[in-house]
Amino acid sequence: MAPSATQTLLSPAELSYIHHSLSLSPPIRPDGRSPTEFRPLFAETDILPNTNGSARVCFADGSEAIAGVKAEVERSIARPGLDISADDDGEEERHGENAWVEMSIEIPGHRDDDALPVFLAAMLTEALLADSELKDRLWINRRFHWKLYIDILLLSPPSSYPLPLLSLTTHLSLLSTHLPALISDPADDPLFNDDWHSATPLYPPSSSTPPVTLLVTTIGETILLDPTPEELAVADAVLALSVAAPLPSKAKKGKGNPQARLLAIRTLDPPSRLTPLGTTAGPTEGAPPRTGMAWAPPQGGLKRELLSRVIKAVVAPGGGAEEVLAGLAGVVA
Amino acid sequence: MPLDTSSYSLALLRLDGRRWNELRRIHAQISTQPSADGSSYLEMGNTKVICIVSGPAEGKRGAGAGGGGERDQSNIVVEISVAGFSGVDRKRRRNDRRTTELQHTITQALQATVYTSHYGGSTITISLHVLAQDGALLAACINAATLALIDAGVPMSDYLVACTAGSTTHASASAPQKPVGQQASIPGLSSLSGGGNFEDTDDPLLDLNGLEEQELPFLTVATLGGERDAVVVCLLETRVHAARVEEMLAVGVDGCKRVREILDGVVRVHGRRMVEGG
Repeated sequence: MAPSATQTLLSPAELSYIHHSLSLSPPIRPDGRSPTEFRPLFAETDILPNTNGSARVCFADGSEAIAGVKAEVERSIARPGLDISADDDGEEERHGENAWVEMSIEIPGHRDDDALPVFLAAMLTEALLADSELKDRLWINRRFHWKLYIDILLLSPPSSYPLPLLSLTTHLSLLSTHLPALISDPADDPLFNDDWHSATPLYPPSSSTPPVTLLVTTIGETILLDPTPEELAVADAVLALSVAAPLPSKAKKGKGNPQARLLAIRTLDPPSRLTPLGTTAGPTEGAPPRTGMAWAPPQGGLKRELLSRVIKAVVAPGGGAEEVLAGLAGVVA
Repeated sequence: MPLDTSSYSLALLRLDGRRWNELRRIHAQISTQPSADGSSYLEMGNTKVICIVSGPAEGKRGAGAGGGGERDQSNIVVEISVAGFSGVDRKRRRNDRRTTELQHTITQALQATVYTSHYGGSTITISLHVLAQDGALLAACINAATLALIDAGVPMSDYLVACTAGSTTHASASAPQKPVGQQASIPGLSSLSGGGNFEDTDDPLLDLNGLEEQELPFLTVATLGGERDAVVVCLLETRVHAARVEEMLAVGVDGCKRVREILDGVVRVHGRRMVEGG
């Protein structure tokens, strides 16, 4: 499971207070936001001229990350058995491979083979590859392909769970990524146009967007988007949802706003599991184990009915995903 | 190899159009990260470095040199992380020896500059993130660290500033033909006054970019600004004739003075903004 980030130091009484105010209807969040409201963030793209695409995102709590995308031409591994059918059609099938996208995350105070960076990288890569269009676009011809290296630097120590920050930074850097235009014949060894202005975007407007991974917390029946460390400390369950914008073709056909595409869901081990048990007075004999407690760490999983509500809250038109994706699209434009 | 020397001796202009004594553009910001104790962002030409200082804070017990002998001194820890996308080709750099050596050099230089005795037993952590490399890596790291330490309010004896200086070489010239004293006082002119004899002229160059660094011998020099010009760091990793070093060092120290003025300007602008902003 996800190795939890640094723990917040809250007493059982404080945990109980936060938990109670968040389970009210409507919930009262410590920072006064509404349940589906996101915290403000600062973002910029194309900050590093020697990368194919780059972005920097700062959250309001001071955490900051920089991502750079580099693409290199690589020789594809020959698959003799697979190529026979392609030659007959004339139209070659452009199939990418998962190994063409490589991601590495650097977190201060962690070695790059520690559990946290490796787990986060695996999770973000999983969401990226769930959209198979990306790797197919890296295909140049039968012998060559682009290899995409995504390097993310987390500049601040991981105060809260850094997944959304890293995911938004990756999203923006991929949106700003351009690949040099091919000027040679498709079958030849690739030769590229050296004019950067004619480079083609990795995610053209006609395609979907790169995914963003959002954290959603449930507390009782309440669903909270973009939880703060204090809210994570009392969470019943934490979900990481990877979503991408709806395909433009669908957007035109359908009536009204289409819903965002859900690419991956993961449950995370909430840090609330590690909070200490708090008793008001000494444990009374014969009482059920969870009464008379000021605070008991949440146990158990997530109900299916609640899970479907969580997904709806994020994916539905006008939901959390649409808000985030629209905001990020505004940064690049 | 003759990339630089071929054109330089004709027009006395370098690859990027600078003269021998011109610095690249230096752009710096401090307090870039509100959540850190001290932070800075520095660009020297196309080299870009972010520096974040945390501390002085209580160090971890038993962490390295934080043992009994260091009670009256603070411990300076420098971490350099070179981003995979910083170079021309994407390279994954784990903690290799070159980075370790740079870290050691910066630690030593700062220990001589920071009043470490003010923070006995504490640790000052300086993390440097290299976002783009185009020469003068060590110099940019030192300058960024100085700015971030100033932002963190750590007392130092003066600005520790650094820049690089190199020397043009000719493939044929293994040793300078002229005695050093006779070298023209304006180095660029020596090749013109040589009366067509271009073979024996080597000029010092200030602040090499990445391409020049690959071709020419260069040294990195860091000085404590101010009147004394005390040289704190001098790192020379390439082969160069001993007679060239003095010249290169003089140009480097002179460049440090100008870097100091620029950094001082950045700090003053920031200070004024803080006072006005309340």
